[in-house]
Amino acid sequence: MKTPLFGAFGAPGPKHMLGAMQSIDGRMRKYGNQGEVDFCIVGVGSAGGVLLQRLARAGFSVVGLEAGPLWDTERDWVSDEAGSHKLYWNDLRITGGEHPLTLGANNSGKGVGGGSVHWAAFVPRLHPSDFRVYSEDGVGADWPICYEDLKPYYELLEREIPVSGPAYFPWGDPHGYPYGPHPMGGCGDILINGCTKLGIRVCIGGPVAILAGSHGKRPHCIYRGYCIQGCKVGAKQSTLISHVPNALEHGAEIRDSCMVSRINLARNGSSKSGTVTGVTYFDSQGHEAEQKAKAVIVCGYAIETPRLLLNSACPGFENGLANSSGTLGKYLMAQAGNVVLGRFPELIRMYKAPPAHAMTEEFYETDTKRGFARGFGIQTVGPLPIAFARQMTIAKGAWGWGMRRVMMDYNHWGAIALLGEILPWPDNRLELAAEKDKYGIPVTKVTFNLHDNDKKMIEYGKNKVMEVMSAAGAEEVVQEQRYAHLVGAARMGSDPRTSVVDGFGRTHDIPNLFVCDGSVMPTQGSANPGLTIQALAARTADYLIAQSQFGLKKGAHSSETPRIRYDLSPPDTWGKGVPHLK
Amino acid sequence: MKAHDKFGIVRSTIADIPVDAEHAAHEITVHIREGRFQRSLALIAGFTGGMSGLEVAYEHYKGSYSNAIMYTPVILSQALLIAGVSGAVSRRAARTILPTVSAITLVDCAIGFGFHIRGIQRKPGGWRLPVFNIIMGPPLFAPLLFGMSAYLGLIASFLRRESASRFARPGRVPLPTVSRLLPAKVQRDEIIELQEVREGRFQKHLALSTAFATFFSGFEALYSHYKNNFKYKIQWSPIIVAGLLIGASLGAIWKPKVAKRLLPTASALAIANGTIGFCYHARGITRRPGGTKRLLYNIIYGPPILAPLLFAGCGFLGLLASMFRRER
Repeated sequence: MKTPLFGAFGAPGPKHMLGAMQSIDGRMRKYGNQGEVDFCIVGVGSAGGVLLQRLARAGFSVVGLEAGPLWDTERDWVSDEAGSHKLYWNDLRITGGEHPLTLGANNSGKGVGGGSVHWAAFVPRLHPSDFRVYSEDGVGADWPICYEDLKPYYELLEREIPVSGPAYFPWGDPHGYPYGPHPMGGCGDILINGCTKLGIRVCIGGPVAILAGSHGKRPHCIYRGYCIQGCKVGAKQSTLISHVPNALEHGAEIRDSCMVSRINLARNGSSKSGTVTGVTYFDSQGHEAEQKAKAVIVCGYAIETPRLLLNSACPGFENGLANSSGTLGKYLMAQAGNVVLGRFPELIRMYKAPPAHAMTEEFYETDTKRGFARGFGIQTVGPLPIAFARQMTIAKGAWGWGMRRVMMDYNHWGAIALLGEILPWPDNRLELAAEKDKYGIPVTKVTFNLHDNDKKMIEYGKNKVMEVMSAAGAEEVVQEQRYAHLVGAARMGSDPRTSVVDGFGRTHDIPNLFVCDGSVMPTQGSANPGLTIQALAARTADYLIAQSQFGLKKGAHSSETPRIRYDLSPPDTWGKGVPHLK
Repeated sequence: MKAHDKFGIVRSTIADIPVDAEHAAHEITVHIREGRFQRSLALIAGFTGGMSGLEVAYEHYKGSYSNAIMYTPVILSQALLIAGVSGAVSRRAARTILPTVSAITLVDCAIGFGFHIRGIQRKPGGWRLPVFNIIMGPPLFAPLLFGMSAYLGLIASFLRRESASRFARPGRVPLPTVSRLLPAKVQRDEIIELQEVREGRFQKHLALSTAFATFFSGFEALYSHYKNNFKYKIQWSPIIVAGLLIGASLGAIWKPKVAKRLLPTASALAIANGTIGFCYHARGITRRPGGTKRLLYNIIYGPPILAPLLFAGCGFLGLLASMFRRER
């Protein structure tokens, strides 16, 4: 029999799919690496994707170099927990310190879209107080910008993503969301029940970058789960789905599987100043190549960005590019993400529905009565069995037959998590190690220690989350110490002696070298950084576009805040996002 | 140019309207005014009941008919449709089946309202998170809105038929059997009241009902449009019109002038708004992925297709109220 009964299964089409309904036809503009392009973006992730789209749309020649692949969501992604580890940055990294971070999983991404491919998509804004942590609480650092500078970009990105959530979000600067809230899954119900019993205000159904209604070429959420395994539906936003297709339409080039090894610099004589000329990278075949550019924007996230800058050390810049302050690689931050698990007599089925759908920021701000500065949030999480098994090993010491029994009970367990602000400390840092990766580029060693304030916050926050879990009716409550997100290490500031970049991401030392990703954040708040990173990228893009007419190599033409460009949003942002029919 | 005829009814004297049409319009007005429109109201009650039954059917389908009582409004709505049609055909049916089915439906709606309150209470957080749980839980006032068609059916059963002579005495209202158990004085009052309904003298009563129905429908529009944060500005329109119509109906109880002027205007606005809203909702459904190819799915999960028509129905109720005579 040549063909199966009822005909052969359809082979995947020739199209390169991004989500279930959207395809790119594979034709991409190629600049070649002989000439000089306007902008070279290193890393096409959350920030890189937004920058690429903005700059291409504004008419610049722009090349994005990405170490991972340009995913075809229909072929490359699987709805399977173990099969999705390729979404993470799994290359060698060395971790250390008293409280070493787990690297390579939920705090990294590899491939176009970066971490936004596998984020849970919680998109709260930072609070106005987050920008003034040092002046208000005497700890951490102040941002060179304030909330009002970023607010229009928050609003813009919430429309571009678009964010689903309640029409009224009560904390920080109260605001509403363009798409309606999501219905609740089991973990959301736990958080709501627990918080309501304790009289804690709770925000339901978002804010989350998952569509509650169809938008453009993206269908709405079908609540199948597997959000953090890469949303094959295309309902969850990643810059791969929302911004990259528009960037390609407007002539951007993405060179995927290209690992940038160094940034090249032209010194002005023997002085300690210069301008970057481009980057050297290993292409997908492993050959070394160079791309010249008028400006380079590094968007590699908190580990790869400092690593690249440190690895690009050259005469005049012996400590690494843009490191005259010595702060490059320092002030690395992770958020405390203790997961609290509870066993319930009824079924919870936490694999269903998006893991991100209810939260409270009631404990976000500093409360002197608690005995520590800053605060934390409580959010839903929905670990799948492998993550759950790991948590149970740590939280309960489950092993062997006991582990089997716990795993048989998976559907009765629910999980909510702490998201606490760990302050920036200079000894939480990364530096180059002696080990090298497969390209021969030195890898990083990350050192991470908790300080007194962080420990107090984690202790208080963990107990509060466990209290919520018990109030929700859990029979047994256990918890696992864990960290989430990773920001800082190339922080922005107004003083070149204590920071790496200015408020727009321009390095203090080199006028045409920019950093735009989570690593520029001086403090992190207790909010997931995804939206802030994308908003900062849109702001940097407006700045680059405004400044490029004066030539970027000369340094800042004026320190004026550029006009926000609403016309550079992807299509469907302003056309009310009418879904395209198939 | 407008003039009052000998019955005190405003009549158009614009020459363009064909005499027949003008005559027909006049006939209808007189019929309504004098409570001689049992057949048409029975039909209207039946069809609105049947229509809201469709909405109930798919909304409860969304809830998987997890409680057997969720079938009752679906069954009763079809019974109401049958009763309405038979009431239009037969005078006897209009006096027996129609009020019985309507009364049962009304009781069912009251029970349903209770269940919906309980449904919201049972959601995580219950009534301590009213905004979210009203938005995401069972539609709070939907059962009462469905009850409005049963209420129309009940009213219809007390009216006179269109064929009744306008000059003959209206005749005695047959008192419902249950009422015979009441004290004599209450029975007497009831007879007077029903007699007024029979003669089309229940403007204030119907205006009050309009206010209630509009409140139910407007409240549904408010929270379901709030759900997506009034993304389209037009989503505010039913809220504004509902406020206007509620104001006009309450004003109509207070002053005859409001009943004659403001109430019909507000009602016409509500009817227009509901009709336009229906088109928007239909467009919303076809714009969902799969569009008309996945029609049932998109009707169930898209904007509620019949909800704007129910809002227009409130406008119709107001219009009806404006045409009645006031209670003596």
